[in-house]
Amino acid sequence: MNPRILGAIALADFRDRVRRPAFLMVLVAAVALGYFSAPPGDSQWMVFRLGTYRGVYTSEYLGAVTALAAGAWLALGGFYFVKNAVARDETTGVGQILATTPLRSSAYVLGKFLSNLLVLVAMVAVLAVTTLGVQLIRAESTSIDLVALWLPFLVLTVPMLAVSAAAAVVFETIKPLRAGLGNIVWFIVWLAVFGVGKTVAAVDLMGYGAVEPAMQRDILAQHPDPGDTNLSVGLNFSEAPTGRFFAGGIDLSAGMLAGRLAFLAVAVVLVVLTALWFRRFDPSRDSRKGADTAPAAEPEPVAVPAAAAFGRPTTPVEFGSTAVRLFVGETRILIQGVSRWWWLVALAVAVTAALVPLKFLISFVLPAAWILPILIWSRMGTQQYEHDVRLLVGACPARRTRLAAEWLAGLALTFVTGLVPLVRLAVASDWPGVLAWLGGLVFIPSLALAFGLLARSHRLFQIGYLLLWYAVVSQTPVLDFMGAVRVDGHLAGPNPVVFMAIAALLLAAAFTTGETRHARR
Amino acid sequence: MELDISEVSKVYRGGKRALGGVTLRLGPGVLGLLGPNGAGKSSLMRIIATITRPSDGTVRWDGEDVVARPDRLRRVLGYLPQEFGVYPNLTAAEFLSYLAAVKGLSAQSARARIDELLELVNLTDVGKRPLGKFSGGMRQRVGIAQALLNDPELLIVDEPTAGLDPEERVRFRNLLGDLAAHRVVILSTHIVSDVEATADDIAIMAQGRLLRRGTPEHLLGMVDGYVWETMIPSAELIEFRERHVVSRAVRTPDGIRVRVLAPEPPTIDAVNVPPDLEDAYLNVVRGVNQATAARAEFTREAP
Repeated sequence: MNPRILGAIALADFRDRVRRPAFLMVLVAAVALGYFSAPPGDSQWMVFRLGTYRGVYTSEYLGAVTALAAGAWLALGGFYFVKNAVARDETTGVGQILATTPLRSSAYVLGKFLSNLLVLVAMVAVLAVTTLGVQLIRAESTSIDLVALWLPFLVLTVPMLAVSAAAAVVFETIKPLRAGLGNIVWFIVWLAVFGVGKTVAAVDLMGYGAVEPAMQRDILAQHPDPGDTNLSVGLNFSEAPTGRFFAGGIDLSAGMLAGRLAFLAVAVVLVVLTALWFRRFDPSRDSRKGADTAPAAEPEPVAVPAAAAFGRPTTPVEFGSTAVRLFVGETRILIQGVSRWWWLVALAVAVTAALVPLKFLISFVLPAAWILPILIWSRMGTQQYEHDVRLLVGACPARRTRLAAEWLAGLALTFVTGLVPLVRLAVASDWPGVLAWLGGLVFIPSLALAFGLLARSHRLFQIGYLLLWYAVVSQTPVLDFMGAVRVDGHLAGPNPVVFMAIAALLLAAAFTTGETRHARR
Repeated sequence: MELDISEVSKVYRGGKRALGGVTLRLGPGVLGLLGPNGAGKSSLMRIIATITRPSDGTVRWDGEDVVARPDRLRRVLGYLPQEFGVYPNLTAAEFLSYLAAVKGLSAQSARARIDELLELVNLTDVGKRPLGKFSGGMRQRVGIAQALLNDPELLIVDEPTAGLDPEERVRFRNLLGDLAAHRVVILSTHIVSDVEATADDIAIMAQGRLLRRGTPEHLLGMVDGYVWETMIPSAELIEFRERHVVSRAVRTPDGIRVRVLAPEPPTIDAVNVPPDLEDAYLNVVRGVNQATAARAEFTREAP
């Protein structure tokens, strides 16, 4: 395998990505992550703590905790950001050009993996520099040790990101995982790695094992009776940790380093394996492409000879009310291509909702009913761009009516999938529950439309909604937008009117985005 | 029914100037807009179609400013972009029905016109098949049908014959000619024969500017007497091209028959031949594109 070819593929792809405005946004997010990883001393929130302790903001401590946070969040967000290297080559047609060269499939996928990794490492590099700035800003320790500060990024974060970069290539080469389903599957994988990695060393991709025991030893050495020192990573709001300790740095034993190298090796092996099934942009192996590639089911109609004159349409044009037909059209567009299996599963969820006890319905079946359409909702606001219909409809009137019809189509889908739970809540006279349900009804399509319009991509909603939904099923009251979190049968979350108000704001943001784009066209 | 384009310029973000002060006034009939790739034709089409705002200048439809108030024009506008997509899981009839609603057509009128238009573009038999199964040419015909849904007073078609087979291309040219009697049609293309067959008014653009405008007869008159045909040995073609503006070269058993634009006979045995539109187009465009403009452009004043 020629390293020059590998480098050329990786570099071309890397350059193309970093010159997009989205990359700048991601770097800004990386800076924010670095900044918020070490909140001010009196903050009521933390992203990293060991029981009631946190380390003094030294290079050793900040390097370790920010590297862990980076591994955790970039493995999720970074995956979604880089999971389009192969797809872009497909849509731009570059893939078919490459496929006609002597380039080996293994070299191609490795090149894409390297490009993914370069993008993620660039984010980490920005984050690492930010961490230095954070140490200076927080000023709890003015002693700068660059090795202690930055080595954890190399040892802990890069292997995790290598696996993410490899997984992105693997997902892109497996048809069912290429689109939204792959995004959800990765979220589940990420949750598992995030949760189980602490206890099972074989899947400790994050590198907890290099941080937690070492810091617990430091605490024990400085506080003889420390109490709770369990590691917690992730945004949590509670009383600020009262205990302080000086961290001595991460575990750099040979065994730990070998483990991290093993993850790198696994990433490379995974990528090389994808060459076995990578279809090398052969469109005949992709049934979605339709007549561009596969023979049409029926022969193309024979053209009438030019001499056979045709008449122009004779029906006069009459203008009239179009609201209902726009709604029907937008609904058709929204649910186009949804498989029968999806409808069957939706039906099964509805039947389950009719039969289970109310408590189970509220906590599990309603959330299930309102996660099922995530891939359909995520199309909202994006389809004109995705299917390149923008120029056709852009030259038509009724811009605002069209957007309203699109929102109503999403609302209808939300209504239909949540209908049986609504009936059960109403029959049980759970009126606060009904109100919360109504909050969810308007909130979900508004979020989908606003995110879709802003990002022009399915991913923002898929990731954002999935995180929000996960928070609800994890019984986080403050984010309960559907009334699924209850304490003694009462709503534990905010008043449903709050989510209705947020829905109104999101809707306003969607319309404002549409108007702004039209004004700046 | 009048479209008035006045001093329209477009500078894209990043500073790229696509159009510089284009002025045109159009009434019913077909205007053929010719120009090489990158001439600014599509930018001008998008500005007239209200997709893009001009950086400067005005576009008026029957006196109304369509940049500030685009919806009135949009009701009577048919637009076929150079490249467009479709919703792949909708049928042709469903897609047209959606666009008819977007354009504001009543249900009854939409139904009847969709049937007629599917018949017109020869897609009736496949009107209930998903668009994702359509070939490129069939999709292009769906594009033509949608542009005619609202019986537009202003029809803008950008490279409309791309992807059509020769027979369909002829049909489409005839259709344009038929439609033009009652509306303003702007046909943008770089296929000179398409314009030759349909347009009674031709505008030639290059580098974002309008270079010439006139009837085909007027443009042909500008190069009358300057088009020559002569035979040269095959080996001399490259050198010959360097010295002359060659509009066509055809290999024959006796060598290469070249068609040359020149004020004087390029060879002793060169024969003066009647010009065609391709010669006129080349004369205008080469005059701008080449450093040897003085040699290439020898336009006569119109009589």
